[in-house]
Amino acid sequence: MPSLTKMIFGNGPLGPSLAPWIRQRPGLQKYWARWSNFYKNAAGYRQKGYLYDDLIVEETPQVQKALQRLSPQQRYDRVFRMRRGIQQSMGHKKLPKEQWTTPEQDVRYLTPLIEQVVAEEAERAEWDYMTVEKIQQKRAEKRNIFSKREGTH
Amino acid sequence: MYSLAKLPRGQSALKTALRRSVSSKASSAGGVSVIGFENKGPAATSSLTVAIKAGSRFESTPGVAHVLKNFAFKATANGSSLKTARETELYGGVLSSALSREHIFLTAEFLRGDEEHFLSVLTSVLSSSHFYGHELKELVLPVVQSEAIAAQSSPTTLALDAAHKLAFRKGLGNSLYASPHYPVTIDDVKSYAQGAFSKSNVAVIGSGISTESLSQVVSSAFGSGSSQPGSSGLNTSKTSYYGGEARIPLDIHAPPTALPTLVIAYGTTSPATPELKVLKQLLGGESSLKWTPGTSPLAQAADKVPGGSAKAFLLPYSDAALFGVVISAPTSPQLAGLAKEVAQIIKSAGSAAKDEEIKRAVAKATFADATASETLEGLIANVGPALFAGGEVKSESFSGVSASSVSKAASELLKAKPTVVAVGNVNVLPYA
Repeated sequence: MPSLTKMIFGNGPLGPSLAPWIRQRPGLQKYWARWSNFYKNAAGYRQKGYLYDDLIVEETPQVQKALQRLSPQQRYDRVFRMRRGIQQSMGHKKLPKEQWTTPEQDVRYLTPLIEQVVAEEAERAEWDYMTVEKIQQKRAEKRNIFSKREGTH
Repeated sequence: MYSLAKLPRGQSALKTALRRSVSSKASSAGGVSVIGFENKGPAATSSLTVAIKAGSRFESTPGVAHVLKNFAFKATANGSSLKTARETELYGGVLSSALSREHIFLTAEFLRGDEEHFLSVLTSVLSSSHFYGHELKELVLPVVQSEAIAAQSSPTTLALDAAHKLAFRKGLGNSLYASPHYPVTIDDVKSYAQGAFSKSNVAVIGSGISTESLSQVVSSAFGSGSSQPGSSGLNTSKTSYYGGEARIPLDIHAPPTALPTLVIAYGTTSPATPELKVLKQLLGGESSLKWTPGTSPLAQAADKVPGGSAKAFLLPYSDAALFGVVISAPTSPQLAGLAKEVAQIIKSAGSAAKDEEIKRAVAKATFADATASETLEGLIANVGPALFAGGEVKSESFSGVSASSVSKAASELLKAKPTVVAVGNVNVLPYA
């Protein structure tokens, strides 16, 4: 589960989300799921054939990198959905009901990749700004199978 | 004046020196052969090498061995590739991987005292490499591409690669480098790695580490490793020698350091004998002194062409060998002339050799064999194949070599069809 800071202030290009905290409490999740499903149906993206992750702002370096990591099929499907949705928007139309995104299709395909990219950047920043303390002393203290014990040859 | 009588004494001293440095061979630490050289190398650093019998010879799809070699030290269960690299830097070590036609070598050089950490790095590469698809695209393929381009731009490398392809076709004939014409996917790499990283395919060479503790740690580390006990999972085919001819044009935009090159080679389907090593030194091509071309026939021929060179080579493999000459000259017409001369020299190789020349060649070959194990690279190149062959590492004995045996070996070698690769202005360069 990400830290409270990340849940309140957002994880890079992904916005703030208390979802991990809620998912850990099954009773609360069952109650909350009704409201989140209502929101997803009312938001309007499903009626234009989009998935939720198509709406993530892609003009950030992390999301661009995550988009490079999609498989060719995922990339093609995303472009198709974008073109279809833009066409609908231009005519102020919705798709016929059979072509709306179903809840089973609405998989978060991009969010795990974005989280992966953000985690890699965070790891790099951690390594860049870490300080090294007392490696020599630790080495002297450490005894492993390879080091000779004092007293024997 | 150096006296040839000194030679036998030098050889026995050499033998004792080698015996002293090879400490012990623990044959199977959990199915993995381990060898340690306790007194070798600098006093402050040690090195660990894992030799995997998964060179380009065994690859299932073209280029996958090259990609797998570059996939070493990427994300494993121990941590990401960044973590491995930064930790190694903090420890003050060097990680490297090398590919030969028969083996992949993963090497870690480090300060004494850090053996545990680097052995865990090496074993995690073998047992728990993740092989992420995005790592292939972002980290590995750019390196593979640059190495392949560098190989293409050097005519000698290009010619030797083509010579192997003509000589051995499949198996040893597989190119060392990946090609853009045959893209390698992550699934290819994963399946090749699964076959390659089995315990029977792996050997550990330690330098500057006590062998008993090394074998103990290796058996505990690999005991929990891969699940294939006996089979190697990689296709091994018998080597046969074909021979042939290839003519490759040199691009007009090639850098001026790319000289037209011609390779004349002969292959055998048995491991390299001492006679072949002596024959290589007999033909020579390299000088032991500055500013003089040397006394070998190839060197004398190359001296007539300013900027030209003709060097004999012997590439030994576990069940075959490729013997030949690499000739290069600044322009293709000069190369044509030089190549015709060299072909004459090769045809008469070994048959007209005088006793003194043979003795000189034997001395040079003994020295080359002895000094080959002095650098870490040379040591690994010698010891790795020997470990997989199951034999002890011993120095080659040249006592059985005489003028008649050398000429016999040469004539048998030259009976086969030659392999000729010409790189340069193909209109001018000669045919076989």
